[in-house]
Amino acid sequence: MSKSPLPLTPAVFHILLALYGKERHGYDIMQQVKADSGDAVKMGPGTLYGSLDRMIEAGLVAKSNTQDPRRIYYKLTALGQTTLRAETERLSRVALVARRHIGST
Amino acid sequence: MTGPAPHEASWSLRLYARLLELYPPEFLQRHRAEMLQNFADLEDATASKTKLWLLIGKDLTMSLTSQFFASQLGSYVIAVLLTWILIFIIGYFTHGSRPGYPALHAFGGVLFGMLCMYLATRLYGTLQSQYNAYLIGVLVAFVALFTIGYLRYRSLLDHPILQVIGGVLLGMLSMSIAMRLYGTQQNSPGA
Repeated sequence: MSKSPLPLTPAVFHILLALYGKERHGYDIMQQVKADSGDAVKMGPGTLYGSLDRMIEAGLVAKSNTQDPRRIYYKLTALGQTTLRAETERLSRVALVARRHIGST
Repeated sequence: MTGPAPHEASWSLRLYARLLELYPPEFLQRHRAEMLQNFADLEDATASKTKLWLLIGKDLTMSLTSQFFASQLGSYVIAVLLTWILIFIIGYFTHGSRPGYPALHAFGGVLFGMLCMYLATRLYGTLQSQYNAYLIGVLVAFVALFTIGYLRYRSLLDHPILQVIGGVLLGMLSMSIAMRLYGTQQNSPGA
């Protein structure tokens, strides 16, 4: 990618998180996103595949050589892993600043 | 993992399959089968149809809006709409807001015509001959209504219905030109 994708949208962040360490198909990603966000992010098929298309184009995610002929599995690329780590760090720093501000009032 | 029953699809799945036609054809070519499978899985896992359709309704609205605005056709439509809004604003300030103001009727007609054409393209765009038949049928109907109205009222500008129909024709024509120019290139889902 030519420019930094950070900050990520919540949907993209959660999809990257769902794919970390495991290849998943679309429905599995939706369920994992729902679980990871504590039901806060509920993603439908249109949003999911629109996001996946953009993430594949950006080099964050790739289609996997699936063992299941009925499903397409997706996996993180090296860039996707780096981006996820960078966004997690960024969010941690933001949370730290927020805690400091809230704590001082 | 459960999938859609091959022999008896539920009415929800059939309706969802129909609604998927609103997405650009290339997007559907890549994801249609999986989206249907995901819908069937969601349907199996969700106890309430209302909850399911609330999720799907929100998902369709957001993803279709995002794709439409990112497409070239979307950009064209926005440009045409902005032009019409500008014309309407200029008309409002130069002629006032009296009831029956022609620009308002024509503008409403344009919006309606563009919306009809957009829906027709999304629903019938994959079946070229069916789409053409639909388009010609609707255009002929509107031209006939317009002609009858003109003969009946003798003036194109005096009767609001004529102004609306004129606007509809203009909107449909704009969309038709847009689709001829951009229709085949408008399928990349937006960034």
